[in-house]
Amino acid sequence: MDWFSRSKLTRRGFMKGAAAAVALPKMFFLSSPFRPSVAYAAGEADLVIAQQGTPTQLLQAAMAPLGGMGRFVKKGQRVVIKANIAWARTPEQAATNNPELLSALIKMCYQAGAKRVAVWDHTCDNYQFCFSRSGLKKVTQDAGGDIYSGHGRNVYKKVEIPKGKKLKEAEFIQDVLETDVYITFPLPKQHFATELTLGLKNAMGTTWDMELLHKIDLHQCIADINTVRKPDLVVVDAIRILTTNGPKGPGKTEDIGEVCATTDMVAVDAYCASYFKHPKTGKPFRPADIRFIKNAYDLGLGEMNLSKVRMKKVKAA
Amino acid sequence: MTEKLQWARRTVQAVSFFFLLYLIIQAAFPLEVRIPVDLYLRLDPFIAIVAFLTQGEIIIRMLPALGVLLLVVIFGNFFCGWFCPMGATFDFFDRVLFREKKRSKPFDDQPLRRFRYGVFIFAVAAGLLGLQVLYLLDPISLITRTLVIAFYPPAVYIYNHLLPEIQRLLPGNPFILPATKLPIFKVNLLIFLFFAGVLALGVIRRRFWCRYLCPLGTLFSLTSRLRVVRRSVSEACVQCLKCAKECSVGAIPAETPREYRQQDCISCFKCLDCPPEATAFGFHFPRWKGAEAVSLSRRYVVGSLAFGVFSALAIKTNPLQTESGLKNNRLIRPPGALPEKNFVSVCTGCGECLKVCPNNALQSTFLEAGLAGLYTPRLVPRIGYCEEHCNFCGRVCPTEAIRPLSVEEKQKVQMGVAKIDKTRCIAYEEGKVCLVCNEQCSYHAIVGDDKKRPIVKEEICTGCGICENKCPVDGESAIIVYTSGIQKKVKPQQETKA
Repeated sequence: MDWFSRSKLTRRGFMKGAAAAVALPKMFFLSSPFRPSVAYAAGEADLVIAQQGTPTQLLQAAMAPLGGMGRFVKKGQRVVIKANIAWARTPEQAATNNPELLSALIKMCYQAGAKRVAVWDHTCDNYQFCFSRSGLKKVTQDAGGDIYSGHGRNVYKKVEIPKGKKLKEAEFIQDVLETDVYITFPLPKQHFATELTLGLKNAMGTTWDMELLHKIDLHQCIADINTVRKPDLVVVDAIRILTTNGPKGPGKTEDIGEVCATTDMVAVDAYCASYFKHPKTGKPFRPADIRFIKNAYDLGLGEMNLSKVRMKKVKAA
Repeated sequence: MTEKLQWARRTVQAVSFFFLLYLIIQAAFPLEVRIPVDLYLRLDPFIAIVAFLTQGEIIIRMLPALGVLLLVVIFGNFFCGWFCPMGATFDFFDRVLFREKKRSKPFDDQPLRRFRYGVFIFAVAAGLLGLQVLYLLDPISLITRTLVIAFYPPAVYIYNHLLPEIQRLLPGNPFILPATKLPIFKVNLLIFLFFAGVLALGVIRRRFWCRYLCPLGTLFSLTSRLRVVRRSVSEACVQCLKCAKECSVGAIPAETPREYRQQDCISCFKCLDCPPEATAFGFHFPRWKGAEAVSLSRRYVVGSLAFGVFSALAIKTNPLQTESGLKNNRLIRPPGALPEKNFVSVCTGCGECLKVCPNNALQSTFLEAGLAGLYTPRLVPRIGYCEEHCNFCGRVCPTEAIRPLSVEEKQKVQMGVAKIDKTRCIAYEEGKVCLVCNEQCSYHAIVGDDKKRPIVKEEICTGCGICENKCPVDGESAIIVYTSGIQKKVKPQQETKA
């Protein structure tokens, strides 16, 4: 037990080290007190839908009318992408994001000058299986990004939701709350409980207790959590969507071949709802059929009425 | 020279222990190490022989153990003194923490040495009747189990609590270290106390366990009498008795130090540190006779045997173990486990599967499976569920008590069936849109009715327990996996219409 006395670690040395450990990160924060400006240069459209092309082409085509990635990502900024890697499924099964598109998105952020890009998701299946089976870990790391899973509670921060109607506080991934640029990267899927899972629902993967939201009131909670950190950019991966057995699959898939980019998360959900047919009527879903879209609209998160949105469809190739 | 040899031996022991530790740490996702992570258990001839006898067939994975036994038969017992990780632990703790008490009178250990054989006979007799005390005493299984159940969770706990400090030292951007999910095991304290108790026996005698209890050591004693590498003492011996004092297993009798019990020798070569340099080790013609061996009277053997048989019978007739007591419909065995009766007699309780399970779903039993099923793995869905694309537990089981299934085969094993408690399910009781179970189910075994309430399709439910795990109802889940005690194959799945 005399190891302690023989080691070089003195009390004074320890205190110095501890003080430095506390002070140093504080100093880093002080050095950059200026948050990036929120006044972006407006693009020529608010919702761009790119069709026909490879994933990379689609993304570039979708971003251009919005003003390019440079409108959102400034030099030296940290970017967080909330991807959909919730399930241990292969890319073809369309329960997780398209790897090529994620890779293109990360590279585009770096081209715009991002300091570091992090991909986050609080997975439902075991994160290791999700990351490896979906192939998204590899493409993220190859593209120079970091991939993180929200399985450890230490990465969360409890915040109040002042605008929330039913959910008053929740634990969110701290990186999502504090990052310079937050991009949500959903893919549309059929979902038995909420009819569809779209961009707004993607935000569930930034919270710690997802099951709790089901318990309170799923539709309202989805709208409530989206009031906390609004995404700066929404990129919807509708290259292949899951139309049955969602959200986990495997089920029937449909190749839509579209990528949507927007700043209005309600509008894009309203648009993407029409990919799917209502099981009872057989007609495409109307935005108001999905209660969480309606609830988000009521909270003023965006425009549900597509006729009021500046929409633009472009061909990628 | 002898100092160098002892130094080399300690190094080998340390390497052996840390290699075991390394293998245990590697028993985790993605499980891609070339060496089997249960290597040490596969090299344990005691487990091999008992598993062969109780299972009634040769287990391919355990065959290397017979190679070890063969080497021991020829060259003598080098395993305990050099390679046994438990032995290394004893040697370490006997030096640093539990030092042998000094005695004025010599310690007569004849009764204790006899006791070792008594324990062995008792354990074998009970083991063949289905009470697996032997596995609890096997040193390799014991150390693996202790490291996994008693030491792995605290290590993760400390790591998680040091994380903020580590994080602070790293630049804030881009490094983020998410905490590791804390593994939990119910029986950890019990296992720790047993381990600590065994170590503490060192105050009575160095390597007390190895000398007087260890069944693997006893097996080696029984088989290594005809070893060819043997100690010999020349005429130069001055009867200083240094060797008798130094011998860590008491193989050299103080009365006749020139003789020794070659079957008890663990080849640690401490006796080579001989002041007149009279001791040597070399190749000799096998010899049956050694220094006075332990005298096992017929009475003693029969007594031990009877005691073992009675213990096994007492446990078999105990309500915990009899059929009525075993009707525990929540005792879900890992996917691919042998039928319950065989499972408890072949499972060594080593804990490899508990370690490798990515969701901490496998838990060690205490008395849920009866006394014979102590420390066997069970699936506790509320703690963790069985991951769909994982077959790790079968891949690391040394005795194939959990059969090694391919992922596809595993996905078809029905461990149990989920049942919904409609009085507690918030979809039925409160009319809420929940359907977490439906969303999480990997096999489409939970569908929703038109009011968005879950219904289980029992024929395709595998009992993986993800629904029970994720159910948002507080406390006990509103959907619970029950088992019939027999694992079935699920019927081929039909394309479900949405």
